[in-house]
Amino acid sequence: MIVTFPHMGTLHIVLKALLTALGVRAAPPPPVSKTTLEIGARYSPETACLPFKTTLGNFIQALGAGADTILTCGGEGPCRLGYYATVQRDILRDLGYKFAMIVIEPDIASVWQALRRLTPGGLRPVWPAFRLAGAKLRALDAIEQTACRARPRAAVTAAVDAARLSALAAVDAAATPAAAAGAAAALLRRLETLPVGDGPEPLRVGLVGEIYVMLECGVNGDLVRRLGQMGVEVHPTMLLGDYVGAHILRDRAALRRSAAVVAAAAPFLGHYVGGHGIKSVGHTAAMGQTGFDGIIHVFPFTCMPEVIAKNILPGVSEKAGIPVLSLAFDEQTGEAGTVTRLEAFVDLLRYRSRKGFLQASKNPAKNCECDQYHCWPSCPRI
Amino acid sequence: MPPTVGIPRGLLYHYYGDIWSAFFRRLGAIPAVSPETTRAVIEAGNCIDEVCLPVKAFFGHARALADKVDLLFLPRVVSVAAGHYSCPKIIGLPDIMRAAFPGGPPLIAPTVDLRTGRGSLLRAITGVGGTLGRSPLYSLYAWQRAWRECRRPYTAAVGAADLPRVALVGHPYILRDRQISMDVTGKLAAMGVDVLTADRVDPRAADQAAAALPKNIFWHYCRRLAGAALAFLGASPPPAGMIFLTSFACGPDSLVGEQLRRQAGHRGVPFLLLALDEHTAEAGLVTRLEAFTDMLPRRRP
Repeated sequence: MIVTFPHMGTLHIVLKALLTALGVRAAPPPPVSKTTLEIGARYSPETACLPFKTTLGNFIQALGAGADTILTCGGEGPCRLGYYATVQRDILRDLGYKFAMIVIEPDIASVWQALRRLTPGGLRPVWPAFRLAGAKLRALDAIEQTACRARPRAAVTAAVDAARLSALAAVDAAATPAAAAGAAAALLRRLETLPVGDGPEPLRVGLVGEIYVMLECGVNGDLVRRLGQMGVEVHPTMLLGDYVGAHILRDRAALRRSAAVVAAAAPFLGHYVGGHGIKSVGHTAAMGQTGFDGIIHVFPFTCMPEVIAKNILPGVSEKAGIPVLSLAFDEQTGEAGTVTRLEAFVDLLRYRSRKGFLQASKNPAKNCECDQYHCWPSCPRI
Repeated sequence: MPPTVGIPRGLLYHYYGDIWSAFFRRLGAIPAVSPETTRAVIEAGNCIDEVCLPVKAFFGHARALADKVDLLFLPRVVSVAAGHYSCPKIIGLPDIMRAAFPGGPPLIAPTVDLRTGRGSLLRAITGVGGTLGRSPLYSLYAWQRAWRECRRPYTAAVGAADLPRVALVGHPYILRDRQISMDVTGKLAAMGVDVLTADRVDPRAADQAAAALPKNIFWHYCRRLAGAALAFLGASPPPAGMIFLTSFACGPDSLVGEQLRRQAGHRGVPFLLLALDEHTAEAGLVTRLEAFTDMLPRRRP
């Protein structure tokens, strides 16, 4: 059994560790590229959303490279994600691929079944496997946060990217939870020694929207890194750990954070609309009051929950006094277009910040709830 | 003077509109349904970004009603059955309305979410009644009467036997709206085919057919539509062709349509997918319908 799974940011490092520790051979698809998108779009329904097309491309590339089992997620609406697996399985079968598909539905019986299929040797390795995967997940999130903070301040941005990549490799190679945590800590130390540039104070921009487009730099035009180069400290509102914490482990802190966001969204959007639509609205409303310079809202073209958010965000932007840029991505999205719009938006934010649009109290330590927005440098998570 | 309650002629109006009107009449209000969709209505709703054509039309209707009524009825229908959802855009309707048209009339926007029982429907009914100054008991009675008045039992309709039968699958808010659908139903009938629509299928048969799919379609209205389509395909003989009428950027239809295309292919039924938006040209649509209907007799044994 050679198991593959869809890409989403650095999730493959976690899943690879989990599967390997369970005693299964893991074969992640090649990194998401233009080719992945082309292949996926060719065999997908025309107006399916971008994550559908990209993950289908992942599967085709992975099956072509020798994988024989696909591990993916299911779900029960109203977002389309819940129906991906069913349609993708049929498309792949019609293309002639022979494979098994393990779909994890959000109920305990399905998780149990998937686990039994993935652990032919017995359940003994399950606990240590999940512990290792969990440690890697936390380390990866910490690395992204550190890199987001360091990029706009560093004299040479490329040095931060290089450090990040070597830290990711170290986490990937780590065999114990302690080694994974150590790799993240090492990156933090290394970035502290990097020379600081003499540019202006970084702008603080919140990144809201749909999780896949936010995390997968293969489809978002490497948004976070580019913004960092432009002198923007990006605060992603979604990290791998948040998703796992809120949706799978249902841990108390993650649920409390979710509830706070939903409450902030309430005056504008009064009900869950699937996906992360309500969070996009809630985070924008909350970040407008905590000293952020602007919000970038990203989502796949035709994404139903985010289209609702997009139509509501102009009002939120006005009420909260924070500029919002909405960007839809699909396989037609060109890099140059995205960069131009980001540059124009960043120019606007610079102008505003020079003109003192943000009132005197732009003091992150005072204004920002660390717990909510992954604020640095005092963030206890790192 | 009793208050007028505006009911936009779009989306779920095409399922429950009669009941809503009867309900408001029994509550002592004057229901005001907007007239049929026109180009101008769609243009007025075009200020909503990136949504599908029926949602644009819906907001055009809502906007046309806004200055003529005292209240606007925009229910938030989250779910009408256990394990089912509406499309996210239907769930978000009242919020988009408030965001896009500030300063409109107050909304009657009860939330109906039947995933975990009927309580939410009862609360919605008594809540609407309360807004209009009626007691909970009277409101429930009014709803019950409205429901009885408007419920139409299913009767199997028979079509002309000698014409090629074409199944036309699509949401009622597309098919029944002659502007949005460009009257595809009428055009097909004029081309000499017997048009089969979902109301020619026994709801129970449709439900059974939908249950046979490998995974429950959790969008209620799509499940209904897919069930009817599968019931057509499962009939013997199956229809001579199937046309799936959807609107560009409809999320659920993009995946469900793919499933139906595949099912039709397995049974050798020709399948035509027509995606409509406000830019669809009538001539192009007619050409494609003609090509499709011309092809049908050639395929017959």
